Amino acid sequence: MRTAIPATLSLRTREALTGWLFVSPITLGFLIFFVGPLIAVFGYSLTEWNLLSQKSTFVGMQNYADALGRNPDFWHVTRNSLIFAAGLVPLNMGLALYLAVALSRPFRGVVAFRTIFFAPVVTAAVAWAIVWTFLLQGEQGAVNQALALIGIDGPNWLREPSWAMAAVIVTRVFKTVGLNMILYIAALQAIPRDYEEAARLEGASGWQIFRMITWPLLAPTTLVIMVITVVGSLKVFDHIYLMTGGGPENGTLVLAFYIYEQGFKFFDTGYAAALAVILFVLIAVLTIGQVILRARSERA
Amino acid sequence: MTIHRHMIKRIITSTALCCLTAVPALAQELRFTVWTGSEAHLSMLNGIAEGYTAAHPDVTVKFETVPFADYVQKITLQLAGGNPPDLGWLLESSAPTFTQAGVLLDVGDTLRADAAYDFDDLSQGAMGLWQDGDAVYGVPFSTSPFIIYYNKSLYDAAGMETPDALAAKGEWTWERLKQDAAKLTGDGHWGYQSVDGQGYDSRVLHNLIPIVRSYGGEAWDETGCGLNSDAAVQAIGLYHDMVYGDKSAVPPGEQGDFFTGNAALTMTQLSRVSKLKDAGFEWGLAPLPSGPAGQASVIGQAAVVAFAAGKNSDVAADFLAYMTNAENVAKMAEFFPPARQSVLESEAFLSSNPAVTPEQMTIVAEGIANGAVAPSHVAYPQIEAAMRPKFDALWSPEADLKAVMDGVCDAVTPNL
Repeated sequence: MRTAIPATLSLRTREALTGWLFVSPITLGFLIFFVGPLIAVFGYSLTEWNLLSQKSTFVGMQNYADALGRNPDFWHVTRNSLIFAAGLVPLNMGLALYLAVALSRPFRGVVAFRTIFFAPVVTAAVAWAIVWTFLLQGEQGAVNQALALIGIDGPNWLREPSWAMAAVIVTRVFKTVGLNMILYIAALQAIPRDYEEAARLEGASGWQIFRMITWPLLAPTTLVIMVITVVGSLKVFDHIYLMTGGGPENGTLVLAFYIYEQGFKFFDTGYAAALAVILFVLIAVLTIGQVILRARSERA
Repeated sequence: MTIHRHMIKRIITSTALCCLTAVPALAQELRFTVWTGSEAHLSMLNGIAEGYTAAHPDVTVKFETVPFADYVQKITLQLAGGNPPDLGWLLESSAPTFTQAGVLLDVGDTLRADAAYDFDDLSQGAMGLWQDGDAVYGVPFSTSPFIIYYNKSLYDAAGMETPDALAAKGEWTWERLKQDAAKLTGDGHWGYQSVDGQGYDSRVLHNLIPIVRSYGGEAWDETGCGLNSDAAVQAIGLYHDMVYGDKSAVPPGEQGDFFTGNAALTMTQLSRVSKLKDAGFEWGLAPLPSGPAGQASVIGQAAVVAFAAGKNSDVAADFLAYMTNAENVAKMAEFFPPARQSVLESEAFLSSNPAVTPEQMTIVAEGIANGAVAPSHVAYPQIEAAMRPKFDALWSPEADLKAVMDGVCDAVTPNL
């Protein structure tokens, strides 16, 4: 085999160089397309930069001060984001675990059921959101027509401030629950059956087995799922953009959508960058917090 | 092998460039962004581009469709990313923002240099938004008044007098439209659909301002926000009652499209006639109804602009002039009512669209003559975003209209 690395170098150096050469495409790509923009966003957040006129002036921490101190909208949208996450995460994880337990053991038709619950994950987000906006129409929507059959007068889901957030959370859960379900199924199938059999011989009930054996053994998977789901819920954009556009009365205006509005509708890119940094910090703090909590509970 | 060929090509090209600097430009492609995806519109535009290429064999024009909802954002990103289109369409609401940001090319000199272009033929009223002193930042290709489309089959079946007949007798009022819509609601269709079905979201002003103006109100002017005036609240009350009292207007969140026969009446512009090509019903056009303050036609405007950062700005300015000369404006008039007086007053304009009768085209021409352009402002994006959540409160049966509109004005005023 011909090699471009000169044979005069020591074997160790040659190996290291070969290794770096092999990973260089992905490393370069990562630096250029991930790390670069990340640093750039920090830089932009210190400027007042109008995207349209391309005028940029350095303003230091002004954008952060505006967001945290002066702009009441910021706290409103942050609250919305947290409500969205608080609604979505437990619902999504609870449902995923329930489905996983139900579908982890083989029975007739299990593959069909798994496919049904996983299908929304691979469905285009746009198609999913548009179909649901049709189903959730005020009077002509299929959901309300079905409710009418049992005598319930359903609300105009996406147009009433008190219902819109619930509607986007639930439809988002249906869209994403399949992925978490698959992760849980994989984890459940990795638990050796011996443990359960041993517990059963000791006379443990089904609930006791789940609480004392299955649930603790699922903990690493639960952490991964929790982190993914929390991060995903705080970053939600397409679903909101397509279903409610942040309305009604800004009731579903979440942080990621607000950043988009500031940057690409008002062209206030510096401010949008500062908001993106704040979102980044928020997600980082939550993620690290979860990992620490998990580490502590493991030690306990 | 390919590398060699590329290399040779490059050498030839660069040699040619060095030797031929005196000769202007090799093949150039102008990129032109539009928001229409209609085949009828695009083939008309391509026809104009071919005419230009025939006279300038080195230049081709490529029209690129960007969906309306994302149009301004996409153009802005292309500008910011250093890859701006050479030319594009721009809506009246974006005119002040873009002009002030300095991203539009001043084509004033190019247009005035050519006597045949006849710059003064462009109606001054229509040019208002696009001119700053001698500088010209765009030429409106569409100065299109909102008009009423009605489903003639439904009117005939109900034995009702059609809107254009009522207009001829001077009885076509918003009150009358409301009554008609209520009578025509039922059997799986609505009475009235707001402008392109977007009257509760991005186009809430286009939906309501025609009514508000005919009641003597205005969105905003030098004295401030007028959306909470008595006239405006009364006008908005009329529409609100159509939605929640009569239940004749397609309500928020529901689908009911005039062009597929699911609504008896709608308000929109001439270019939507192309959507009626295969309509399974007879249809007609009527002017906007009048209100207590008379008839107030509202014009939606769009202009052709060239971008200052475009790579071929000289050619772009030249194509802009070509596209908006009298001959091509007459071609575009089929869908887009022009800002050129000579074309507007010509017999040819009245018969430019085979699907529209000269009488119907007269409605359009009169709408332009009497109309005022829809609201715009330098801070329009901010106003729109501030306004939208407040407007949302309007869309419930129990809404206190005056209180809601006070809230809208509170949100709008700081941006004026």
